Amino acid sequence: MLVWVIYDIADDPIRKKVSDKCKNYGLYRVQKSVFLGDLNANQRDSLAIECEDLIDPEVDSVYIFPMDDESFRKVKLIGQAFDKELVSDEVLTTFF
Amino acid sequence: MEELESESSTIITISDVLEYLFCPRFIYFMYCLDIPQHEENRFKVIKGRDVHKKRQMTNREYVRKKLNCISKESEVYVVSKAHHIKGIVDEVLFLEDNTAAPLEYKFAEYKDKVFSTYKYQLVLQALLIKENYNIEVQKGYICYTRSNSMIKELAFKLSDFKKANDIIKDIIQIVDKGKYPQATKSKNKCIDCCYRNICA
Repeated sequence: MLVWVIYDIADDPIRKKVSDKCKNYGLYRVQKSVFLGDLNANQRDSLAIECEDLIDPEVDSVYIFPMDDESFRKVKLIGQAFDKELVSDEVLTTFF
Repeated sequence: MEELESESSTIITISDVLEYLFCPRFIYFMYCLDIPQHEENRFKVIKGRDVHKKRQMTNREYVRKKLNCISKESEVYVVSKAHHIKGIVDEVLFLEDNTAAPLEYKFAEYKDKVFSTYKYQLVLQALLIKENYNIEVQKGYICYTRSNSMIKELAFKLSDFKKANDIIKDIIQIVDKGKYPQATKSKNKCIDCCYRNICA
């Protein structure tokens, strides 16, 4: 399922660690603190625990939003938009 | 089948049974083809082991009075040659009614039902406790550490013990004879399986 990961982290090194984790899970960077990609339920859960371990829950926040394909098709892109096709899993599977 | 059980010297672990219940092919890939799972590369596994270690070190003397427990033994290593099985029980609780019960800690959230893997883990631990301590075991407990250490009680039926023995026999047959078993019927499990690339 497609997942949005959005974070607001005060500390630079921790923010870097969280973004590295997102990349390791194969997520696509949409904005500086926004990632998007296809994760299964276990990967979603695992990424959440990894982020929980890294951040300071008193000041930082990480949102992990699952999104179904139908809603993703309704997403509107304005301005410097990301490549919607690249993020959707159908296109990604053709690479492998 | 009966013959095989008495002849075989193979002793499997309780974890093997959990893996078998997830998908019987795990046993084939691990024991017959000797392909490791590399579960240590999974963050949730490492974290779970960490939580286990920390729990072992803290509150060692704590006895769960709410469960009518009078004493306990932690990290008990138990083996049964008769049942061809071995494993570690997180806690053996000795209860007021002169019975015992296994308690298993899980780094997991409670999701409205107890999975059969967890249930049979407790059933097997009960079998081992019965044999090694010569005490009656009628129920077991699971502690979900990610749901505020919620405790779920499971009462065992006679049929559970019978089914557990059948599962052991099945696993031993795969290990000893190299029988290629059917994969799990639930295809959802394949999505996150470490053997998905080599499983036909």
